[in-house]
Amino acid sequence: MRSTATAAPLLGPSVLWLAVFYLIPLVLLLVQSFWTYDPINVVTDQSFTLGRYSDIGADPVYRDVLWKTVKLAALVTITDIALAFPLAAYIAYRVKRKSLGLLLVIIPLWSSYLVRAYAWRTILGHDGVLNSFLIWAHVLSHPSDAFLFSNTAMYITFTHVWLPFMVLPLYTALEKIPPALLEASRDLGADGPRTFAHVVLPLVLPGIIAGSIATFSLTMGDYITPSLLGGPDSNLIGNLIFSQFGETLNWPLGSALSMLVLAVLACFLILAGRTGALEAM
Amino acid sequence: MPSSLNRRSFLKHMGAAAGAVGAAGITGGAVAEAASRPAQRASSQATLNILCWEGYTDPSFVGPFEKMYNCTVTHTYAGSSDEMVAKWIAGHGNTYDLVSASGDADRRFIHSRTLLPIDVSKLKNFNQLYPKFHAPPWNTVNGIHYGVSFVWGANVLIYDTRKFKQAPASWEVLYDHKYKNEVSIYDSAITIADVALYLGWKDCYNLNNSQLAKIKTVLQQQKPLLRKYWAGAGDVEDAFQHGELVASSAWPLMTNDLRKAHFPIGETVPREGATGWADTWMISKSSPNVDLAMKWIDYMIGPQGQLGVINVTAYSGSSRAVVPALGPARVKALHMDDQAYFDQLHIWSEPVNYADWVKVWTDVRG
Repeated sequence: MRSTATAAPLLGPSVLWLAVFYLIPLVLLLVQSFWTYDPINVVTDQSFTLGRYSDIGADPVYRDVLWKTVKLAALVTITDIALAFPLAAYIAYRVKRKSLGLLLVIIPLWSSYLVRAYAWRTILGHDGVLNSFLIWAHVLSHPSDAFLFSNTAMYITFTHVWLPFMVLPLYTALEKIPPALLEASRDLGADGPRTFAHVVLPLVLPGIIAGSIATFSLTMGDYITPSLLGGPDSNLIGNLIFSQFGETLNWPLGSALSMLVLAVLACFLILAGRTGALEAM
Repeated sequence: MPSSLNRRSFLKHMGAAAGAVGAAGITGGAVAEAASRPAQRASSQATLNILCWEGYTDPSFVGPFEKMYNCTVTHTYAGSSDEMVAKWIAGHGNTYDLVSASGDADRRFIHSRTLLPIDVSKLKNFNQLYPKFHAPPWNTVNGIHYGVSFVWGANVLIYDTRKFKQAPASWEVLYDHKYKNEVSIYDSAITIADVALYLGWKDCYNLNNSQLAKIKTVLQQQKPLLRKYWAGAGDVEDAFQHGELVASSAWPLMTNDLRKAHFPIGETVPREGATGWADTWMISKSSPNVDLAMKWIDYMIGPQGQLGVINVTAYSGSSRAVVPALGPARVKALHMDDQAYFDQLHIWSEPVNYADWVKVWTDVRG
């Protein structure tokens, strides 16, 4: 930045926006997590207590669901890295009109998230495209109920819906690698896999971390896909938090659960920082 | 300066992605909101904001009301009593003028101190209500009317008639391995009352801890057999029509909608009995349209409103005003004048230990 005098009015609105819509609500959530909701009199007791956190510790369902969510988020992230890498590399190295390639990746984001989730319902359902195809191909004799309303359906939907968030940072990172480095590596005798492991991967790591932060935190907070596509056993921590706010009226407990999710994400960011990838950003 | 070039172009790309997500999110949110609310006509007419169950603001009977009183009616649906209470209380009763509360939520609404006590002498159709709805304990406390009853119904068992040649005799069908992955139940803690009935406990809103523990076990055993838990009418109807379900707990509204779509659906009350609900219109004490809200209630317990809501939902009306238009056959089929039938339905009421019910439900759903 040139000087603080120029920086302040430029930064001011953004900082204000961030404070009002991000920081203040987070602080309110934290404060609420120390209150108690009385369902009999339908009032909230605002005296300070750690009771909500001990409620969470006392009932195994909360940590079971949180762990279930973390595992799913990790699985979705790894799958998205595996899927996004070839796609990003293809756009970076093989596609002439790169902006068109990127546009095609971003276009699904222009449609509503609900529309894409419902699309998966039609594909995976009892009388959906997948079942019809498998019956036509004589792989199945009658439709399978294993696709829709299951953890698999959730996993497929998440992987598909967050993929653009992994492709974009990967593409950016790949595009920044000077081709001269790759040629130099080849000249020095390294084959494809060695070049990949020793040259490409370290340089692309910030992009992988950036994409992972997106897919991991988006999955951690989601409750819509489990409701639409999940089975009876598919409730994630987002659903538990949603039911505290939307049904049980126990906002203090919902806030405490939200703080727990934030703590998990903070751990993830610390681990990501340890790899040194965040400095390169 | 390669590292800051990296950062800038990365931020540029992430900024583009964030902008796309933001636009997509806002569009998605707006689509979802608009889907639950008909387009408001730009005018200086009064607008009635109603929070209610699906089917209670169908254009077929809302349209004539809007014309009659030169107003606009907008609605927000809630899928469960808990959701309804949450939405109402989150706005301190300021967001909506009217709510259609069921018996298991009335106590919370009354306790929230956001309701307007209703002067029933101002309602010209009030005396047409069947006697049992004049001052029912779930909406009338110490002689004060916090609302007016307008429909009631049973939580029935519906089934695909191609799969069940005869109506299932027992709720057992929802707990049977034979129908694994083909059945569903209502996703709300109040469903625990239905499980209590299935287990033979007739006093199904008065459950002690050991009964709740047994119910929790039964629900956990049932969970792997379910295709899904349903949250609203659309959920159930969609699932039946796509061959995902063969039997489910439901409301007569679903039977009605599926019959209209020519789907082979059957409806029954199994031998263990059924829970039911009786819905009450309540007015917010901070409503700017109290007069219009009273007119709405009068309309809904009058002949036109009752006929309209019965035709849409196939629920039972609370008012005799509709008997001439409905005809004796339908009155009988809906058990509208059958006190004994109403009494043996276990109408939703809020258990004293509802917080424990919610805990059991959360544990099972996790």
